[in-house]
Amino acid sequence: MSEPLRVLIAEDEALVAMQLEFLLEDCGHAVVGTADTAQGAIRLARETQPDIVFVDLQLRGGSSGLDIVRTLRDESDAMLVFVTANARRFSEDFEGAVGVIAKPFSEAVILDTIAYLEACVRNPPPTMDAPLGLNLAPDYRAQMDSLRD
Amino acid sequence: MERDDAWHLTDDLMVEHGKGDPFAAAIRATRMAMIVTDPRRGDNPIVFVNDAFLRLSGYRRDEIMGTNCRFLQGADTDPNAVRQIREAVDARRDISIDILNYRKDGTTFWNALYMSPVINEAGELLYFFASQLDITERVDAQKRIQHEKEHFEREVGKRTQDLTEALAAKTMLVHEVDHRVKNNLQMIASLLTMQTRAIVDPAAREAMKTMLTRIEALGTVHKRLYQSQDVRRFDVAEFARELASDLVRGSGRAGIGLHFDLEAVEVPVEKAPPIALIMNELITNALKHAFPGEAQGLLSIVVKPDGDHFIVGISDDGVGMPREVLGNRSFGKRLIESLARQLNASIAWQPANTGARPGTWIDIRLPLETATSRETA
Repeated sequence: MSEPLRVLIAEDEALVAMQLEFLLEDCGHAVVGTADTAQGAIRLARETQPDIVFVDLQLRGGSSGLDIVRTLRDESDAMLVFVTANARRFSEDFEGAVGVIAKPFSEAVILDTIAYLEACVRNPPPTMDAPLGLNLAPDYRAQMDSLRD
Repeated sequence: MERDDAWHLTDDLMVEHGKGDPFAAAIRATRMAMIVTDPRRGDNPIVFVNDAFLRLSGYRRDEIMGTNCRFLQGADTDPNAVRQIREAVDARRDISIDILNYRKDGTTFWNALYMSPVINEAGELLYFFASQLDITERVDAQKRIQHEKEHFEREVGKRTQDLTEALAAKTMLVHEVDHRVKNNLQMIASLLTMQTRAIVDPAAREAMKTMLTRIEALGTVHKRLYQSQDVRRFDVAEFARELASDLVRGSGRAGIGLHFDLEAVEVPVEKAPPIALIMNELITNALKHAFPGEAQGLLSIVVKPDGDHFIVGISDDGVGMPREVLGNRSFGKRLIESLARQLNASIAWQPANTGARPGTWIDIRLPLETATSRETA
């Protein structure tokens, strides 16, 4: 198995954050932190330099996951993935995130997404297709496709 | 013999010349207001008015004889209409025009003016002849109708806007409720997932996982409803694709292939959860029983309309269903039967006979109910 992924979770619903944490740990990855506000997530990302950040759109105190993505896309190499019940509220370019997982998600979608992202980070391009529940940003899909050719 | 212009001298002189002329008599007596002007005199003055004109305009004969007709105009008279009349006079042509005129007392009336030049055989312009008809009532009626029409259109527009806003508000509210339902389903799923981790007994663990897939199936329904534009309709075919893919992945069975034969079938929203649960049970069953061990196999999902019904078919090329399973009363089977009754669906369980193994083919027919759904839409 390759080196564990370092994952940051920005999620204000404690149960959902906990579930993601469990699933990631079951797959052998490391959750470097969870934050329930945009500011907290940005600070943690700067401290821990994660490989992947799961980003909920609506966070505590009215803060928005969009701020996390807009900040981190420029200053970090982390792959940003929205995990949200507001999956329709995105512009076409996903604001720089690589994809969106719509809530409620199934366990299978999260496990497949983790496997897919692991391949993207450790061994791009991934040989598998993106799971059905992970809606890839057009830019990112094109980037992966070009690597494959 | 009287002079040609005896009738106009009549007015000029206030005497009764020309009364032997039946045409002059008719013009004097008619209820249609008429005047004659003489363009050969300066400023084209009136040289004849009949009594009807005096009644219409409220002037006495001596007040207006010898004056130009413009005393009929007032502040609200359309200058364009005045200009058009002047142009007709200058060009010596007939004109018929509706114009707002003023009586002596300052009240207005709509005048359907008809004016025509009188030209002799030598081509000389002798007179202008004009008749006036009070059409105030007609014009007022038209204006009233126009006004009412505009008012009505405004009201319709306003009402349409109100309804559009109400619909937008309702749609937003439904989405908000949907959003909360989704979040709660996500929390239930999270709780089940985490609780399952702590369970060591395989049977209990299996039961928890079965329960989780049911919750996830309902979650998928609500997720798809939220993502669709129409909050009242639900596409069974696309749902089937997502559900089956999810369940096969979730089963961890890499050797099982999926085949889809899908055509769009839309059902009213309230039918979606029971349909989703039935499909979830049947696909889960097939994954659990059709391919024992690590056997490979193919699972086929069909969704397509069939007249006033639609078909949901789930078939596998697995080991086939033993008689005792077909006849038994497991919880899963009772769940399917209850939901099928709720949906007025009929379910047939039979061998698929598509490959080497007997396989199982579950054929579900459901009423489409497009008519009722349109009524509620």
